[in-house]
Amino acid sequence: MATVTNWIDHLNKPAEEVAGAVYPGAGSSEGILVILAIILWVGWHILTAKSESDELERLARKRYGANDHKSNITDW
Amino acid sequence: MTDQLAALTTIFTEFYYWVTVVLMFLIHVGFCMYEVGASRYKHHQHTLMKNTMLIPLVTVTWFLFGWWIYWAFPTGPGLAPSIMNESTALITDDSAFSATWYTATSELMAVNLGDHISGVFWAAFLLFSWTAASIVSGAIIERITTFAFGILAIAIGSVFWTIDAAWGWHFDGWMLKLLGYHDAYASGVIHAIAGGFALGVLVVLGPRIGKFSSSGEPRNIGPRNPWLVTIGLFLIYTGFWGFYAACNIPIFDLGPEYGMEGISYWTATNIYVTPTTLSGITFNFLMSLSGGLLAGYWIAKGDPFWTYSSGLAGIICASAGNDLYHPIQAMIIGMIGVVISYKLHYWVERKFKIDDAVGAVAVHGYAGFIGLVICGFVLNGYPSSGYSVGAMWDGTTYASINPLGQFLGAIIMFGVLGMLPGYVIAKVLHGMGKLRIPREVEIAGLDYEMMEDAKSDEKAVSSATR
Repeated sequence: MATVTNWIDHLNKPAEEVAGAVYPGAGSSEGILVILAIILWVGWHILTAKSESDELERLARKRYGANDHKSNITDW
Repeated sequence: MTDQLAALTTIFTEFYYWVTVVLMFLIHVGFCMYEVGASRYKHHQHTLMKNTMLIPLVTVTWFLFGWWIYWAFPTGPGLAPSIMNESTALITDDSAFSATWYTATSELMAVNLGDHISGVFWAAFLLFSWTAASIVSGAIIERITTFAFGILAIAIGSVFWTIDAAWGWHFDGWMLKLLGYHDAYASGVIHAIAGGFALGVLVVLGPRIGKFSSSGEPRNIGPRNPWLVTIGLFLIYTGFWGFYAACNIPIFDLGPEYGMEGISYWTATNIYVTPTTLSGITFNFLMSLSGGLLAGYWIAKGDPFWTYSSGLAGIICASAGNDLYHPIQAMIIGMIGVVISYKLHYWVERKFKIDDAVGAVAVHGYAGFIGLVICGFVLNGYPSSGYSVGAMWDGTTYASINPLGQFLGAIIMFGVLGMLPGYVIAKVLHGMGKLRIPREVEIAGLDYEMMEDAKSDEKAVSSATR
């Protein structure tokens, strides 16, 4: 997957090749990386939305009052 | 400076590093705010003083011997010959990048019209030293003596991290040659070592009183001022960006450097003098930060303290290869590092009763270690240096980056130069009775008398009639 294995050999190539991308998998992996990023992006929204809903429902069931939070404040 | 191009390059480079130093100062401001925000009110002022006083302690020792170590130790000594003088001894001869120019009595360690770069380069590395010590500082708050922390700060800031930098973060370092070690933005050389060092100290220091119940269950002593923690971590992000800039040579002609006849190739390079671009590392810095934040928010269920810390851990994990990764690779690596580090933190806390007050061992140590290992797989086959590509264990040439070399490098950083010295020095300090504050003071609070004095001062002022 390495795009460059020797910097001296690489810099001795024609100028237009030297100026190209050097990240791992350059020219062959971009599509897969974008698909992976989209999957992670959508998956993150699904997971965190579910987690937040569960948390909010749990809190709502406890029916705390407007002043209950004051007993939680620590100042030491 | 005999011609305009040389003058321009020199002054640009001098100014470039000077700006990075100013930016990196924000890391320390951030660490101070973050630690005070994480500590309890009764310990605030001592916590702040402890982290502030590492500035002069590390700076003076860095001037006296820390900077010298960096230039003297790339060969081990005795492990691989220098490419400058082909000797495996300490580099103290008259070659261009010898430690002999960086003793405290050297004329280059002062205002010198023949040298426009040594001071700013010295300062850039010094700021890394403060960071290494500051990482340790956070983990051990509320129960260590300032004296003991001062000794530990000097050890990690002016001795052990600079040895690892000479070995694995130097164009002539033996770890590049023998192992193919690659760590462009210091996953290992700053973060893994400091996290490992903190863990070694924590094993001896023990937890804060009340951290664990009588049955061994950990209790949460969360941050008391989330706003200070928030601003502190944003400042650390900002300073970290300056650190990324400081890890590069901003403009350099690689053709003559690599001995290539008639070829001129101006580029930014990483610390190993291999090409990268400031544009590319900007992509990767922000994508790995984002990966860390996304994973942290998910794994910690929206907890702000861990989410912010995870942003940092994401960058740290991807830093080893952020000079070459694709931005999406950097993001995914940041995510992986955060999830493993977070799980490891709570496993170690529960299993070994380790009280890491700010999660520094996880965010810096584990994330750094994992980042090095992942880098070995993703950058497998890339050259660790531009000078001469060779095989592992050869020593006279540079091995290519590979998983085994990175794994061994991670062990050297986290374990050999981090955890082991931290444990040994803490043991010695403990044996002298100098490591931990008295139990009674810890319970009352290090700031108890200051707070009492402030109260009586205020009483006197408020009862005054004129």
